[in-house]
Order: sequence, then structure tokens, then C-alpha cells
Amino acid sequence: MQAVRDEIDREDAVLFASYVWSATAWLLLATAVGLLLSFKFPYPDLATSPYLSFGRLRAIHTNGTFYGWASIALTGVALAVAARTSGVAVRPKWAAWAALILYDLAALCGTITLDLGINYGDQEYREWVWWVRLLFAAAVALAGYVAVATVAARRERAIYISNWYDIGGFVFTVILALVALPPWYQYGMGQVAVQGYYMHNAVGMWFTFLALGAAYYVLPKGLNRPIYSYALGVLGFWTNLVFYPLIGAHHFEFSPLPWWFQTIAIVFSVGMLVPVWAGSGNFFLTMRGRWSLIRRSYALPFIVVGIAYYFLGSTQGTVEALRSVQALLHFTNFVIGHSHATMYGFITFIAWGAIYALLPRATGREPNPIAVGVHFWFALIGVTGYVLALSVAGVEQGLRWAAGDPFIASVEAADPYWVARAVFGTMMFTAHVVFAYNVFTMTRRAPDARVPETALAGETAP
Amino acid sequence: MSMHRGFGNPWVLVLVCALVYGALSFLTGILPGIAFSRIPPTPGLRPYTAAERRGRDVYVAEGCAYCHSQNVRPFQEDRVFGRPSVAGDYAYDTPELLGDHRNGPDLTDIGARQPSAVWQYIHLYEPRALVSASIMPAYPWLFRVKPTAAPGDVVVPVPSPWGPRHGVVVATARARDLVTYLLSLKQVPLPTSSAPPGGVTP
Repeated sequence: MQAVRDEIDREDAVLFASYVWSATAWLLLATAVGLLLSFKFPYPDLATSPYLSFGRLRAIHTNGTFYGWASIALTGVALAVAARTSGVAVRPKWAAWAALILYDLAALCGTITLDLGINYGDQEYREWVWWVRLLFAAAVALAGYVAVATVAARRERAIYISNWYDIGGFVFTVILALVALPPWYQYGMGQVAVQGYYMHNAVGMWFTFLALGAAYYVLPKGLNRPIYSYALGVLGFWTNLVFYPLIGAHHFEFSPLPWWFQTIAIVFSVGMLVPVWAGSGNFFLTMRGRWSLIRRSYALPFIVVGIAYYFLGSTQGTVEALRSVQALLHFTNFVIGHSHATMYGFITFIAWGAIYALLPRATGREPNPIAVGVHFWFALIGVTGYVLALSVAGVEQGLRWAAGDPFIASVEAADPYWVARAVFGTMMFTAHVVFAYNVFTMTRRAPDARVPETALAGETAP
Repeated sequence: MSMHRGFGNPWVLVLVCALVYGALSFLTGILPGIAFSRIPPTPGLRPYTAAERRGRDVYVAEGCAYCHSQNVRPFQEDRVFGRPSVAGDYAYDTPELLGDHRNGPDLTDIGARQPSAVWQYIHLYEPRALVSASIMPAYPWLFRVKPTAAPGDVVVPVPSPWGPRHGVVVATARARDLVTYLLSLKQVPLPTSSAPPGGVTP
């Protein structure tokens, strides 16, 4: 019996490690691209080649980090959490593997086609041509099926809150990808409206849900106490579901989209404070009195930073949506700072925390604590400096434009901050290399390789 | 814990999520998509010619819209880029290129603001030959360096020291299409001035 259980554990460990390795490879590639892009601002004649040009690599950076790194990492975490909270193995295995292969295939084909200048239009996060996005949608659908089938096999009566968020995220994203796919109802301003819906929902109905699902598991587990309030978690789930789909048009304020359409987006952007503060408040209240535990965990520092950036970045998003703020900051680098505060400070830190929490338990191999510390501090200082530099640059740009200066004055004003961004970006990329080393130490086979017996010990919700 | 009991079967959760999000997606994605696709063109706006359309494809393939918006807001500060954009201006613009960043200036009316084809060619070959502080990428792959120009070639007079040491710079078909597109970007005047002179101040 024990031998059979060990075999199941080993299969789950290999599956999870494969997700983490795929995600890590995309993280390295997509952020190496991002680093090159950051140096092209101070050195625009660096690497002048069609295949290394800004216009093509920018989409490779964003899609690679979104759909290569974050999607694969958080899907791997979601499936591992579904199995652990249900006290069963991930099932069916073929679908979990097929999802991973489709994710990788989509990211690979997407990267190659974008580099050849083949895209759907310069529309953020849906630049991939239709068949590549279909591959991605199929991967999400398959992974969602695995999550549901695994949760359906649980022994507990209740579905743990993490699985709400994860299953929801899979369902929403399949719908989102399919709605955005057919071109036959999207022309001119109609396409602008769909783009506003798509680009923001891709962030808030996919990454936010999966990252919160991960945090709702890793945080209580690491603190060894239940989450402060399930009710707040459920409130956050429903309000995020209802408010988020309505806010996309705030990317096109003062555009020719109807004024009322923009106003609805702004109203619900303010409404987003409810799920954001409910969620982050819930996490911080769970931390009460246990802050000292952070120092003894690989995972908790990352989770705490992720929650802090969730609170700060999302609240900032609400403020940015206000018309008076948009008038100054729209079109500026401030927006790029915001997107890194959220996709990196929030989403990526949560993904790292979850990997550091779950991977050693699956493989029985611990990372080097000093290397984890280097990863943490380089990434934290890097992203915080990055966000600050671009926020200041964005305000500078906005003020120059408002003052009626010639356009090039805004470029010259932002230039020193772009240099700073490249330096902080180098720190971030260094952190990723160290992270890859840590994944290596957590997954390499030791001479006395053995799987921990606790890995499948009918574990229930924390 | 009572709130969880309703979803003993995870497929019920899937169904509820799909229904709620499907309805919201219809309201906020599909319906506006259909409705705003039917906005008629601004009077006087003409469809793109074949060459302009090909040039627009080059613009999309090279990702120009990541740094150049085509969306003039009703602000005083945007007056330099043209009159405020109206929905009908985009009737022929699929894929849409409104953009959401301005690392470079807005190009809605660039054909009127910078009507010189020679300027556009030199600027695409090496932006810093014309604007020393520019951070725009150079696009030398849209040009070819030949020993001598053949009849019919569009020769680009790149000022030294930015040009090649020997030979002449000739625009490829893709560069010619792109410049044709850029020069076609001219706003049509609105039939009645709906915007107050000077626009509104934010």
C-alpha cells in the first residue's frame, strides 16, 4: 500500500516540478527580453535587428511573462493545491500533462510568430494570432477540467476557498479567451471596446484569481492557523467576479468610446476597492501576531510582499482610473510602473511563495536558504525601484505635456529614470537566475532520493 | 462554513461561474463590440487604398502602436496632434491602433503635421539623424544599400555620418507602403465644430 502511495506521490511531484520548470524557462526568456528592452531606452541603437526590435520584443515580453511564466506557474500551483486540499492525487494525469504541453506549445508558437512580425494587431495581451490563442484556451480548459475532477474526488464535504478561486479563474479565462477570439463582430471602435474588456479581464479574472487561490492556501498553511475569515474570502470572490468585468474601458478614458461607457468603468474601478481590501485585509488579519514566523519560512516573505503589492497596486489602479488622474498619467510610463507593481509585485511574488512552499514538500529537496534570500531581496528591491523610477518618469512626462513643452522634452525628462529602470531591471533578472538555481536544487535527484511520506497524507484544508 | 455547502459538487460552481461571467461578458464585451462596430465613418473619411493598407500592416507588424497613439484627447495639450478624435474616425481602422502609450508623439494627423516623404524615409532609416534625442528604433531592414540607384528607385538622402560609407540607401516596397500610410494619416474636418475652440482643460 505504501509503495503504491509513494508512486502516486512521485507522479504528482514530477508533474508539479515540470510545470515549475516550464514556467521558470519562460520567466528567464521573457525577462531577458524585457531587460534588453529596458536598455534600448537609453541606447536606442542597441541590437538593431528586426528580430530584436522593440516593437516585436515588447509583445514577446508581455505575452511570455503572462502566458508562459505566470499562467504555467499558477496552474501548476492550482493543481497541486487542488490535490492537497482534497487529499487525493491530481487526476486525470493525461489531461494535466496535455495542458502543460499545450501551454508550452502556445507560448512557443506565439513567441516565434510575434518575432516574425505576425500578430493580431498591437493589442496588449492578445497579440497572438487566433490559432495560438486557441491552443492557450485549450490548455486552460484542460487544466480547469483537472482541477474540477481532482476537487470532485475529495473526501471533505466543503470545497476549500482556494479551489473556488482557482476553478473560477479557469472558467472565466476560457470564456474570456473565446469571447475575444472571433473577429467578425469587432471593427474600429467595437474592437476598442472588446480590447478594453479583454486586456483587463486577462489580468483580473485570471492571474488575480489564481494568485489569490494560491495565497489562501499557502498563507494559512505557513502560519499553521486558519484563514481569518472565510466570509471575507467569499465576499472578495463574488465582488471581484461582478465588478471586474465592467472596468476595462478605463484604459480608454477621453477616447471616442461613449462617455457613459467610460463612466461605468470608473465607477466599478472604485468598487474594486471592496474585493481588494476584503482580500488583503483578510490576509493581513490572518498574519496578526505571527509576523515573526516570516523569518523561518522560504515562502512567507514572498507571500507577504505579494499581498502588500496586491493592496498597494490594486488601490493605485482605482486611483489611476479617476478622470483627473488619467488626464495627467494616461499615455505615460506611470502605467508601466503600475503593471509591474501588480503583475510582478503581486502575481509573481505569490507564485514564487507558492512554489517555495509546495515544491520542497513534493520533492523532499530544500533550496539553499541564502540563495532564497538573494532571490527575495534582489527581486523586491528591483521591482520597488523599477516601479518608483517609472512612476516619477510618468509624472514628469505628464507634466511636460500639460505644460505644452515640445514632445521631445518629455523624452529627455524621462531619460535618467529609464537608466534607473534598466539598473533595477538587471537586479530583477539576476533574481530570476538565482530562482532558477533554487528550482534546480529543489528538483534535482539526490543519491538517496526518497519521497516524503507526508506528501499525500490525506491533508485537509488548513 | 455554511456558504460552502451550496457547492458540494464543483461542477455546480463551474456552472454558476460560467453563467454569471458569460452574462457579464455579453454585456461588457460582446454587446459593445457589436454596437460600436456599427458607428458610421466621419463624413469625408475614405477607406484606405491597397498601398496604405499594406503600409498599415507594416506599422502593425513592427509594433509602432506600442509607442505611438492615434487618439487625440479633447485637451488643450493634445491640440498639437490635431482636433479631438471622434468615433467615426476609426470606421476603417481594424485592427484598431488607438494605443495607450506615448513614448513617441501621437500620429493621428501625422500626414498633415509632417507631410515630407523624404523626412519620413530618413527618420525611419535612422531617427537620430533628424532628432538627436530621439529614442525611436531605427528600421534599416526596411531599406537596402545598393552601389548605385536603378531607375525608379526611391533614394533616401541620409545625412552623414548616419548613412552607409559606400553606396546609396534605397527604400524597399515595405518602406514605401509604410510612408504612404503615414502620409495618409490626415484628419478630415468635422462638418460642424462640436468641440469648443481649444478643447476642454482637464
